Amino acid sequence: MNAQTDTATDTAELRQRVLDSMAEVLPRLLQREEHGLPESTRLMEDLGLTSTTTLELMLELEDNLDIQIDVEEIDQENLASIGTLADFIATHAQPA
Amino acid sequence: MTALEAVAAYLPERRVPIEDLADQLGLTAMQIRVFRRYHGLSQVCRDDGTLLDLLLAATSRLDALRGHEHQVRYVLYARSMPVAVPYPENPLHELRDALGLGHAVAFTVTHQACAAGLLAVDLAGRLLASDGDPAARALVIAGEKAFTPIAQLVPETSIFAEGSSACLVRADGPRDRLLSYVSLARGEYDGKPDERRQLAARFQQEFPRTLAQVIGTAVERAKLRPGDIRLILPHNVNKVSWRLLCKAMGFPVERVLLDNVPTAGHSFCADPFINHQSATARGLLQPGDPYLVAAAGAGPGATFSAMVFEH
Repeated sequence: MNAQTDTATDTAELRQRVLDSMAEVLPRLLQREEHGLPESTRLMEDLGLTSTTTLELMLELEDNLDIQIDVEEIDQENLASIGTLADFIATHAQPA
Repeated sequence: MTALEAVAAYLPERRVPIEDLADQLGLTAMQIRVFRRYHGLSQVCRDDGTLLDLLLAATSRLDALRGHEHQVRYVLYARSMPVAVPYPENPLHELRDALGLGHAVAFTVTHQACAAGLLAVDLAGRLLASDGDPAARALVIAGEKAFTPIAQLVPETSIFAEGSSACLVRADGPRDRLLSYVSLARGEYDGKPDERRQLAARFQQEFPRTLAQVIGTAVERAKLRPGDIRLILPHNVNKVSWRLLCKAMGFPVERVLLDNVPTAGHSFCADPFINHQSATARGLLQPGDPYLVAAAGAGPGATFSAMVFEH
């Protein structure tokens, strides 16, 4: 039970770090100011990211957070919004 | 029933790491990292000869052609890029003559981007069937030079390579029999120059689901279930799109032959046939195995195609 609680805490903590890092990386990637984007913000439709710029975002997050994301498991739903991408990374990343 | 009598492929020995192409293609270090890490690209084939040399390298490996030249009625050249050389040069006619096929009707099949190879096989089979001569054959060739910026890079998707293929097609035969062919042309991906970036992004997003639907229809028309398909021989555009597609259709990605993506790259219309040769050389297909060949291409518009064969 304790191990499960620890895992849940680690996942929640990583998810928050991912969200914080996204808030820093996205304006640079989009080359415009973006503040306080909600988790429901859609990466492609709302922000205009392409599938490749979304992948660039993930590489930047890996560098920033010193993690390695398991990309083999990703699907289009995971790339839908800031929140779904954070969910995915928090559960599919290991320390680099 | 259209059948592939023989398939040959040529991959040049010279391989260029994608990092070495960054300046030439105007790619940033981050874009190269994305190609390598997510798209699964590593190096691409480059041939030092002419287009004719490239095509002859494939046909010279097509042993089944020897002694049957007089029975070849058609030579079909499947191209992604409509223009190959300046007028009046015609490497297709040069190839036809060099192979002793001067009596055959030779023409190019294009305007379906990298799906044109499948169309050429279907056309060849239908032409032969209408001829009524069971001994008649058609030669279907593919392979292009990555000679202009647009023929070197598919933005955010892939880097073109220079490999080639040659297939001997008959109206009927005992193996590699065509069970179904489905092709979906989507003109709505064509648009004005200022719309193309948005349309390309839409194509990327819709590609897995649309090709999965076309594959599903092809399997159904072959009177099979997806689980019956032993192997998918894909176009070698990249790995990530096939991973997404397999997720969309619930098909194990391990049964898609992606080995040539990092080592050889995307050779226009020739990929499925290059992969066919790799599969047979490695004994991945046994007689009677159903397998599927799939390709999609986008330029002005997009085409999604799939064929089911029985080995």
